[in-house]
Amino acid sequence: MQQLNPSEISEIIKKRIDNLDVTSQAQNEGTVVSVFDGIVRIHGLADVMYGEMIEFEGGKYGLALNLERDSVGAVVLGDYKSIAEGQTAKCTGRILEVPTGEALLGRVVDALGNPIDGKGPIETATKAPVERVAPGVISRQGVDQPLETGYKSVDSMVPVGRGQRELIIGDRQTGKSAMAIDAIINQKGTGVKCVYVAIGQKQSSIANVVRKLEEHGAMEHTIIVAAGASDPASMLYLAPYAGCAMGEYFLDKGEDALIVYDDLTKQAWAYRQISLLLKRPPGREAYPGDVFYLHSRLLERACRVNPTYVERESGVKGQTGSLTALPIIETQGGDVSAFVPTNVISITDGQIFLETSLFNAGVRPAMNAGISVSRVGGAAQTKIIKKLGGGIRLALAQYRELAAFAQFASDLDDATRAQLEFGQRVTELMKQKQYAPMSTGEMGLSIFAATEGFLDDVEVNKIGDFEAALISYANSEFAELMAKINVKGDYSKDIAASLKELVEKFKSTQAW
Amino acid sequence: MAELTTLARPYAKAAFAEAVEQNALVQWSDMLSIAAQFAADDELEKVLVHPALTAEQQATALTDLCGDKLNQSGKNFLMILGENKRLTLLPQIVEAFEELKAAQEHAVDVTVTSAFELTDAQQETLSQALKNKLQCDVRLTGEVDQTLVGGAIIRAGDLVIDGSVRGKLAKLAEAMNS
Repeated sequence: MQQLNPSEISEIIKKRIDNLDVTSQAQNEGTVVSVFDGIVRIHGLADVMYGEMIEFEGGKYGLALNLERDSVGAVVLGDYKSIAEGQTAKCTGRILEVPTGEALLGRVVDALGNPIDGKGPIETATKAPVERVAPGVISRQGVDQPLETGYKSVDSMVPVGRGQRELIIGDRQTGKSAMAIDAIINQKGTGVKCVYVAIGQKQSSIANVVRKLEEHGAMEHTIIVAAGASDPASMLYLAPYAGCAMGEYFLDKGEDALIVYDDLTKQAWAYRQISLLLKRPPGREAYPGDVFYLHSRLLERACRVNPTYVERESGVKGQTGSLTALPIIETQGGDVSAFVPTNVISITDGQIFLETSLFNAGVRPAMNAGISVSRVGGAAQTKIIKKLGGGIRLALAQYRELAAFAQFASDLDDATRAQLEFGQRVTELMKQKQYAPMSTGEMGLSIFAATEGFLDDVEVNKIGDFEAALISYANSEFAELMAKINVKGDYSKDIAASLKELVEKFKSTQAW
Repeated sequence: MAELTTLARPYAKAAFAEAVEQNALVQWSDMLSIAAQFAADDELEKVLVHPALTAEQQATALTDLCGDKLNQSGKNFLMILGENKRLTLLPQIVEAFEELKAAQEHAVDVTVTSAFELTDAQQETLSQALKNKLQCDVRLTGEVDQTLVGGAIIRAGDLVIDGSVRGKLAKLAEAMNS
């Protein structure tokens, strides 16, 4: 028996026949001269525009990237096996668009917006071009709202604001993706929509991410754009732009969105492949001349926009919109001075360095607090974390300096010893398990306990247990206080006193 | 093909300029097309690319074949092509030359592929309509292709106007499948 297709409903078929435009139009046509490695050279097509879609025989599409005197170089979007020399290629007069809208939430799509999760077609009313010029200076607004990642170390030392671009950089296997995914999970219930763009990853890794997000109830507010390792380079190159267009839909509507590009190194590789095959001259590390622009134009689209812009774009009044970007870059052997890492470091508003040595020493997240920075997030931090977290960064910086020095000294004075011990405890406290993002209140409480010296009499290897017990005690016995901190994030003398009372009560009555 | 066109362009331009100077466009067009027909021949192509033969020998072989169809400047042109080892480019040169000639004459070659033979009246209406649209003289050539089912496809250079039933059916199929 033949399978019935969901598109074969007579009402839909009727609508499609009604909408069919059969007037003959003048089109530009050319002939395929050569096909190799996903690149097609076309003779003719005199009126083709840069970035225009080109239609091949059999419903295949390409993207015109090289306009030369006698030929046009195009990349094929998808499989190019059926395209042969001598076939005709037509201009379409359109630029590449992807579907956008709420219907995409909870779905896994490819770089062109087609569903690949087997959950049926996606009905969206709107489409947006994948390439768009970022909002200009007049439309921008300062970053002053926090985007909480749920990690103590990140939110206290390198805070991320809504509309910021914060790079996550590190070697392979240092927990880069894990950090980004936890940030997505932590957006549950905050109204922040998330887009996770997987570029050049194994299909199994993508499936894993989807499963983890589903397990933690984070798939409802997330769109996954996947261009796997076996997809053509053109898809890997386009996926971040497509994901960005889907995120911009929420930005334009005056909502907040978070986009994770995992990872941009692979996109740069794909673009390098396309450029070399199009015979563009190679530059440093064989990347083409415009590899900086490749990333700068993408990341510039992540921003915070003012209500005037939102009203103009979508008619929603009195709302600011934001698109926060967490690009990921993988380094080779910790070399951050390679071409693509330096480019993206200079484009973004700060970076989180993850290090293999820290990861292997059990410090997870393996963030190097010394060289990780956030250039704009400070203005967006909640009051309580800002007030309490300032000491953490300083303590860790002093600890690192002393720890290196203390290895050679046999006896140390009391002040140095105290600093070393405090540093050890803070390092221990900053460790956090995967898939366990913390709320502002929990974070504030932990940091409060450390900075106020409540950890000084706790053994270093018991810090984790102490913290877990303290938080569960606070959540059950002081639920009101925790809720108050979570909602406003304020810090006052009253709150400090209540926190002090909480920790003292806990230490005197509970075991850990 | 694209690269060949690039290589052929300067020769075509030079030949065209020479032809305009001598006021012998038609004669040059004839000379080049005859030479190109010979050059495209498989047997002669072997001679034209043979490594043991000198450039002069190759050029002479071609000019001899053309006989008295070539005047002195035509022979010189082939000699230069021979020296530069570009005799095999002749078909592309002719193509580029004809394009330049058409541009000069403000005319365009149009091929109309129709499902059925066009009547003279139809051809006349079509030429008139195309003349208005393209803003230049139209040289119409008709072709018949029954697989179009009905209607016609008009080609003028890169521009294609598809008014065939086959094209419309393809559009319908695409709309139904999307």
